[in-house]
Amino acid sequence: MNEPLSAKRRLALAAAGAALLVVLATVLAPLSPQLRAYSRGLVFAVLAGLSIMAVAFLVALPLGALAASGPRVIDWVLRFACDMVGSLPTVFVAAVFWAGTSSSTSFVCGLGVLRGLEQAWLLRCEIVRLEAEDPDAVPRGLGRTPLVAFLRRRMSAALGPLFVSASFSVAWLTALDAAVTQAGLRPPNAFATWGVLLGAPDPSPFAALLAAGSVAWLTVALHALFRPPGVA
Amino acid sequence: MRAAIRRLFGIALTLIAVSVGMFWASASYARRAGNEHVSPFAAFPVFFNPHPSGVRDLALNAVQAIAHGGLPAVAARLSLARLGGAALPYVLPALDSLDPRSRERVALALTPVAVRMEVASSEELADGAQALLFWTRFWQDRAIDFRVASVRHLTTRLAERSIALRREDLIHVDTFALPTLIDALGRVETPDDVARVRRLNSVLAHITELPVACPPDASVADAQRLVEVWRDFWDLHGSEYTALDGPRRLAATFVETQYGKWLAAVLRGGLGRTQSGQRALDLVEQGLTTTSFLLFVGLGVGFPLGVVWTRFERRSHRLPTRVVSAIAGTALAAIPCATFVRMCAGPSAGLVSAILIVTITTAAWVSRHLARSTMSQSVSPIAAAFSVSAPLGATYPPFVLSAIVLVELIFQLPGLGRTAALSLAAGDVNAWMAASLSLASASLLLRHAADLIRPLTAQGDLASLP
Repeated sequence: MNEPLSAKRRLALAAAGAALLVVLATVLAPLSPQLRAYSRGLVFAVLAGLSIMAVAFLVALPLGALAASGPRVIDWVLRFACDMVGSLPTVFVAAVFWAGTSSSTSFVCGLGVLRGLEQAWLLRCEIVRLEAEDPDAVPRGLGRTPLVAFLRRRMSAALGPLFVSASFSVAWLTALDAAVTQAGLRPPNAFATWGVLLGAPDPSPFAALLAAGSVAWLTVALHALFRPPGVA
Repeated sequence: MRAAIRRLFGIALTLIAVSVGMFWASASYARRAGNEHVSPFAAFPVFFNPHPSGVRDLALNAVQAIAHGGLPAVAARLSLARLGGAALPYVLPALDSLDPRSRERVALALTPVAVRMEVASSEELADGAQALLFWTRFWQDRAIDFRVASVRHLTTRLAERSIALRREDLIHVDTFALPTLIDALGRVETPDDVARVRRLNSVLAHITELPVACPPDASVADAQRLVEVWRDFWDLHGSEYTALDGPRRLAATFVETQYGKWLAAVLRGGLGRTQSGQRALDLVEQGLTTTSFLLFVGLGVGFPLGVVWTRFERRSHRLPTRVVSAIAGTALAAIPCATFVRMCAGPSAGLVSAILIVTITTAAWVSRHLARSTMSQSVSPIAAAFSVSAPLGATYPPFVLSAIVLVELIFQLPGLGRTAALSLAAGDVNAWMAASLSLASASLLLRHAADLIRPLTAQGDLASLP
């Protein structure tokens, strides 16, 4: 009874919870304009958050592993890219992406790549640290050690920081959205999101409270969902 | 020593690359649909100008357009009148290559230039044949005056002392004298400099036909502003009055771009001027206090607090306490909590609330990362904090700087983040670049400081740390 849930069950529970939240918000939306705004924001937050995480993982996992254990040039390129991307508050990069992209999908994908670079660096650092602690490890051994062994031994142990970062994706997106709105950098024809509820000059307290509470809840849920093996 | 130089070189290289990226961001943002704020340099390419146009190209194009006639000739006549004396060394020798009708059309198009140069009246040049004869004789008599050395000599003498004849001599060469006149403005520090600027301004305003006046009682500050106006004019239009030959044409492919113009303004000092006329460097100095205060308090208090938090969570044997701690840490790291605080806080609590938010957010964010780092399962949180300083040093700056931008905007604090956001929205390139480059420098310094900590701790035994 006290055994922790398996990853599959946690994932299923999270998906069901998110779906329930979306359905509930859709059902409640017609009751008031504030609930409608909240509901539309929720749909965007869930879908965009999941897309950002998916794109970020796609970028981070191979890039982080290659930077840590592959050719040194990839490590150098990743470091330079992270230096570049990390030198600026992400809110400005997001504002430019949003203004420059024609659709929400490309905006979200752009943010996902940005997030992926950051997570790739976290993964790379964790793998390098684990390799330094392991006397049997071969430095930059990707290609010389079997891939399955590398994935099982090294990658699974190094995913902790990456998962923490991933769990903040929805909060990160909403914070960026709020800051972009607050700064007046939001495109006029942009999709209605929680950023409007949280970053508008005079937010409605009820809708803002609901949105901020949901962000916190989603973050906690994602944090609980992304638990790497062997971590309490 | 070698490592330090390499690191400094790396920082400089990254800052250059970041400045290119930020400039691209600013230009891209300004190009969005429905943008009302257009930079005066918007007509230039952003980074590379494959076909820079100097006075020779512009003048000869105008001559061709006027010779062909039609609608393009109207704009070409205006262009030729604006180019003025600077175009004459290319236009007048080219007249021989045109047919008689085209020659007369071009000669007539130069009438406004002759009037401005005070060498003829419009009545004298009303007829095409008369105008052609006038310009042919003018070039035979005055071609020798259109030499840089002689114009420089005239300008230097006017700058030293006011004599009406010197002023007339410069007006006779019209815009050909612009480069030397702009150069001669120099620095303004004394009343003598003010008098020099007044003399030069009189000629400049005449030949450019711009309504820029220097009153007789102008102060040093007034004269300095006037010089800035002329330098801005030259930054924008300088290439139109200069021949681009050889290496200068090659350099113009970079200089005659939006980025090149911004860099020129930076090299002139003060990081350029904002749309309101303020020096961008002053803007950075004003915002730096608030932002660095938020950053260092957030970092200095938030990071140790995060370590203590993780330590408390790890040592707690009660499951509910650990769960509540984890949930609180995760929820507090979600930056939109700033909105709650804004609702609760009064206007006077702005800075205090902002500091609290940045500190708590940092602490929560650090504690979550430490709690999930595999390192922290075996050694103390302090050792883990040092151990993970390199990856956190890479991801913390953009996170905390975004948080700082948000709180500065919400509480209307006069920091760099707010300045950068508002200037990006307003299309104020110099203010945006100054504020965002300062933020980038802070971020890079944080990253490299984190990198420096790691090798130091690697030499010691991490497990022995408390």
